[in-house]
Amino acid sequence: MMNDQVFEIIKAVLDGINIFFIVYMIGYSSFLFLAVVIGSSELYSKKQQEKLKNTLLRDYYIPVSIIVPAYNEEVTVVETVKSLLALEYKLYEIIIVDDGSKDSTSKKLIEAFNMQPIRRPIQRKIPCQPEEFIYETAMQKVPLTLIRKKNGGKADSLNMGINACRYPYFICMDADSVLQHDSLSRIVRPLLENENVVAVGGVVRPCNGAELERGKVKKYKFPINILACMQVLEYDRSFLASRILFDKFNGSLIISGAFGLFKKDTVVEAGGYDHSTMGEDMELVVKLHEYCVVNDIPYCIKYATDAICWSQAPERLRDLCKQRKRWHLGLFQSMWKHRIMLFNPKFGLVGIISYFYFLVYELLSPFIEIFGVASMLVAFAIDLINVPFMLLFFLIYAVFGCVLTLTAFFARTQTIDLKISPGDIAKAVSLCFFEICVLRFVLAFVRATAFVGYKKKKLNWGRIERKKINIQ
Amino acid sequence: MKVEILIYAYLAVCASMIAFNIACFFVFRRKDKKIDTCKTDFTDEIKRCIESNEVDEQHRKYLFKKLRRINNLMAFDKTLEELYPENPEKIRRYIEGLSPVFVYLSLEYLKKNKLQAAYFPYIIKKYRICSGQNISIITDAMLMLVRDPSLYCRENAMQALNVIGDAASVIKALRIIDEYGYYHHSKLISDGLLEFSGDKERLSDMLWREFPNFSEKMQVTVLDYFRFSSGDHSEQILRLLTSENRTDEIAYSCIRYLGKYHYEPAYPYLLDFAEASDEIHWEYAAITATALACYPCKKTEEALKALLHSKNWYVRYNASQSLDCLGFDYTDLIDIFEGDDRYAGEIMRYRLDQKKMKEKETSAV
Repeated sequence: MMNDQVFEIIKAVLDGINIFFIVYMIGYSSFLFLAVVIGSSELYSKKQQEKLKNTLLRDYYIPVSIIVPAYNEEVTVVETVKSLLALEYKLYEIIIVDDGSKDSTSKKLIEAFNMQPIRRPIQRKIPCQPEEFIYETAMQKVPLTLIRKKNGGKADSLNMGINACRYPYFICMDADSVLQHDSLSRIVRPLLENENVVAVGGVVRPCNGAELERGKVKKYKFPINILACMQVLEYDRSFLASRILFDKFNGSLIISGAFGLFKKDTVVEAGGYDHSTMGEDMELVVKLHEYCVVNDIPYCIKYATDAICWSQAPERLRDLCKQRKRWHLGLFQSMWKHRIMLFNPKFGLVGIISYFYFLVYELLSPFIEIFGVASMLVAFAIDLINVPFMLLFFLIYAVFGCVLTLTAFFARTQTIDLKISPGDIAKAVSLCFFEICVLRFVLAFVRATAFVGYKKKKLNWGRIERKKINIQ
Repeated sequence: MKVEILIYAYLAVCASMIAFNIACFFVFRRKDKKIDTCKTDFTDEIKRCIESNEVDEQHRKYLFKKLRRINNLMAFDKTLEELYPENPEKIRRYIEGLSPVFVYLSLEYLKKNKLQAAYFPYIIKKYRICSGQNISIITDAMLMLVRDPSLYCRENAMQALNVIGDAASVIKALRIIDEYGYYHHSKLISDGLLEFSGDKERLSDMLWREFPNFSEKMQVTVLDYFRFSSGDHSEQILRLLTSENRTDEIAYSCIRYLGKYHYEPAYPYLLDFAEASDEIHWEYAAITATALACYPCKKTEEALKALLHSKNWYVRYNASQSLDCLGFDYTDLIDIFEGDDRYAGEIMRYRLDQKKMKEKETSAV
């Protein structure tokens, strides 16, 4: 009798869980579906616009400062700066902020570009760690500055860069990334289209497998490393899916730290990058939303679908896990700090759709997914699950995910005229299934355990193994 | 089971999107092939006209029929692009003979969607079609496009108008942009005006005449244009600077102009701005500090040295830059380096060190 009652209770609980997951899955599938449909149509319409010269055709140079924070980047930093010097843009400066590297990052730069020491006063608009030395050179195409400062983390380095930069807009990027030759002229375009733009996000694509020459893709093939391949698919899906859709209602909550443009004055007024969060890039964007709404400043955060930055995707699982843990913690910290936005009508669709999406389908999703697997196991153990139906459902979900990923992948490669071989297409088709069925669950577990011991890593740069980028 | 149906439906749409991607791939390829075929036809036709040294009626009719389709216009563009380097002079003459075709086409393209409509002024601008000819049908069509909410339509039409070179039409277009209140970046407008191919003096006269009727934003844009075009407007600019009803933004533009072109009667006013600027109006001091570099004399030196002690970073920075531009060296500025104001000394030393570094680097090369 007692056992029957317990069984009934478990059954009722599992039924409840069942309903929750149905609602959850419908919500997620509908969102992804909408996002991919809108995203790919947007890409095609942009391509059409470009063909019919619906673009700003002359060289309109809005002065831009590029800030490159670097920590132990001796392997890649010189190549990164060389690629920045090759950008097809006239009015910009490059500021590299060495955050007290333990390797010879600064030395490599000084030698490679024959830089000279100088005593340069820097206005402290945002607090940051003091500088140790400054080097400059005027012999390059554009002014190049190296600031070596006391270690304080990536956010602190970016704040130093903001303090030192001269132009009204700045770009933040990673020292292991390469900007495509036309990326600057494309990322500034939204500034010419709308006077209220305070930030513009660019597209980040893994450069593993790409061969670049003066910022142009000379040859592109899928990376040999399987993990990197799956990240190519994942990046395409996430950039195409959420970012274009959120851009439609000014709801972008993330601009990747690898490539984003910001209006300096607004960032300074909002307080700059936050030292205490790991996801300083997301935190800044959420903060800009909050700052502008609270102060009644008309603003717009845009996404430039054609401004491309090539960045290294980790090729070792350990590095990938480290990266994702860091991202997840950053996501949590940013969302917690700006929780006032959730369902707050003052913030409009950002609080209702974007914040809610990030909360449920990004921050809580690893827990929800693991909980789902656990409840399935319980249901299986007490024989309350229809196994064939479960397998069918999972298969449908996997195929749905694959189709969406491939739609995003093909839309992206086709609209930026990347030539891919039939072998790479076969690779993409087979790996997207593996990514949905295996990697996604591995990363869900990694993200769910991100909180274990996170305080210790407060100012950690989150190192991953660096390789020389294939630049000619 | 209803969930499954929904997911099946989503799947079907997504699968059709993949099919769409694949279809697009083939459609684009086919389109490119078609454009190539069309290009071959155009090449033969254009070469025939070039050889006979005239654009005959038959050719015009042929073009009018063909160029109504956007793909053919694109093919025509590509053909001219390829033929131009071979024989620029003859192609130029050939294009001059095409005005009647484009007059008719302008009416056709006004009816098309805005993406396609914006391509038409692009072609007008690129090949300078009707340049120097005030053909009202074309300018009216461009003015219609300037009214369009699409930035690209407006911008391409503005560029076409600047190439056509009729000052009255350009002024009309500026008034339309101003009245409709669409956001059109001032840099796009001022840089566009710099490409005006007609009588520049007449354009300037008309801009001055229309100036009071423009919004403040457009007035600043026009002043920017004057600054980059010529130093012939100093008198009017000074009058504007000293007028009572001018705004701060207008004043900043005027000071920038007078800092680019030396105009002695403006000097006392600039000195006043440099001296009288308080903390709230620091912009006046900052802009004047840069402008004074154009007026080398003892008074300027004193004013700039005083500005070096400003509490505002930008004022100090600009003053140091101007002192550097005026050729002052370490010995001339000893009073600054040995004075009590550390910030003034630091910023000035930085400017001079930077200059020395540049000289060293140049001599090393």
